[in-house]
Amino acid sequence: MLQSTISRASATSSSHGARTMARLAPRSRNNAMSHPPPSKRVEPILEPVFLALSHPLKGKTSIADRNVAALDPTVFNHPLRRDILHLCVIHHLDSLRQGSASTKTRGEVRGSGIKIRRQKGSGRARLGDAQSPMLVGGGVAFGPKPRDFSTKLPRKVIEMGMRVALSAKVQERKLGIVSQLSWPHGKTKHLAQKIDQLGMRKTLFVTGEPKPPATLERAIGNIEKVKLITTDKLNVYELIKWPRVVLDVKAVEYLERTYRKDVPVSPVPIGN
Amino acid sequence: MSARIPRVTLANLRPAPGSQHKQKRVGRGQGSGYGGTAGRGANGQKSRSGPGVRAGFEGGQTPITKLFPKRGFINQNSKTWAPVNLDRLQHWIDQGRLASSPEKPITARELLLSGCVHDVHDGIKILGDGAQHFKTPIYIKTSRASKSAIEAIESNGGKIVCQYYNSLALRDCVKGRTDRISAAPTRREDIVWYGKYRNRGYISPGTLQALGDLPFVEDRWKSLSTQLGAWKKQEFDVQKKK
Repeated sequence: MLQSTISRASATSSSHGARTMARLAPRSRNNAMSHPPPSKRVEPILEPVFLALSHPLKGKTSIADRNVAALDPTVFNHPLRRDILHLCVIHHLDSLRQGSASTKTRGEVRGSGIKIRRQKGSGRARLGDAQSPMLVGGGVAFGPKPRDFSTKLPRKVIEMGMRVALSAKVQERKLGIVSQLSWPHGKTKHLAQKIDQLGMRKTLFVTGEPKPPATLERAIGNIEKVKLITTDKLNVYELIKWPRVVLDVKAVEYLERTYRKDVPVSPVPIGN
Repeated sequence: MSARIPRVTLANLRPAPGSQHKQKRVGRGQGSGYGGTAGRGANGQKSRSGPGVRAGFEGGQTPITKLFPKRGFINQNSKTWAPVNLDRLQHWIDQGRLASSPEKPITARELLLSGCVHDVHDGIKILGDGAQHFKTPIYIKTSRASKSAIEAIESNGGKIVCQYYNSLALRDCVKGRTDRISAAPTRREDIVWYGKYRNRGYISPGTLQALGDLPFVEDRWKSLSTQLGAWKKQEFDVQKKK
């Protein structure tokens, strides 16, 4: 029974481990004279995160009932860091700013540069041209000009933000994993009913496919309080904004491949 | 798992305590502490807007940079070699901190990682101090080697070859990167130097013959040897006497 409790996600995570070991082994052999770094000598203390699969939108529920995903703890079990999330969210929101507000200065306002009245003798204030910021119809002093509000954030901080956000979702039990995201018939009404039935409103669906299935995309597009995106569009802001996130197995594979850290992880206990 | 910690939402994120500063608002009244002169002191050039005086300006007196004549020169072509003497090398081998094989000769990377040198500078130069204590046959590939060091290594049954490393190639060597082809010498002096068997240069036919087909000898060295050694056989037109 437990043998089949290991889903594809776990199989991939263990194959990642195998690949890293394969990659590390010859390097340490070549470097015979130097000792392996302490991280390679210690027993792994991190254990994989086990998560029961959620029921898929379409397809056999028995897959979900009989399988468990073993997730990489470096990606899905990171300590909570609200400050890192804050940095990532602010960075993202900054990048969204249009920065197109614009006003005309006295040089750009249309009109002649002629002196509008003589310097002396009028009994009134001295004035130059008619575009002075002091006058009605004049230019704007220190007004907004188009500019780029985007800020920079180190790539490693953004990557850490993704780990933190995903781990927070796991902690809150708001992360779901399904074997596959599909909706072959493309009918919005039925999908909305199904989503309500599964309790998956206010949910962000993330697919690891390069392009989401056309029928699902069409069906889900007009349903309130759900959104479907691909993994390359996923960011910290979306993860935090949506109360619930559902990943498909390919998305989990992508996230583990992209954000995992090369530290030893206890093997998945298969077959006992 | 944790019911007491509030759910992470966009509303309850905050920067790390102490990580942010308040903006200094100058010229905004006495209470702010930056009213009046706005932190610029009393009158003068430095209290006005604009960049102020240029760097090194000493108020009109001859600045120290112009006070003394220039002296000496900087040799753009000079290299700083990291010296490694044979007794030091032997000591490291005796301690088990260095080892070599025909597959994996000692290079700048091994010397740096084992702490035999603390910085590879522009390359490693093997020197012959303590040659009488040197007993191990070793395989070693460096940038330079002295005459006495070459003699001592080869009399003990080892092999030494001097390879040209430019700064990128040396960095790749130290980092252990093998995906890039290391640059061939381009300067005439380097081509001539590495083409000499006396120096155990890696593009000298004599060195390649002496090394034979040891595993660390690259095929590229042979093609470089023929290409960069071609000048030795080139004859130049001599004007005929009429």
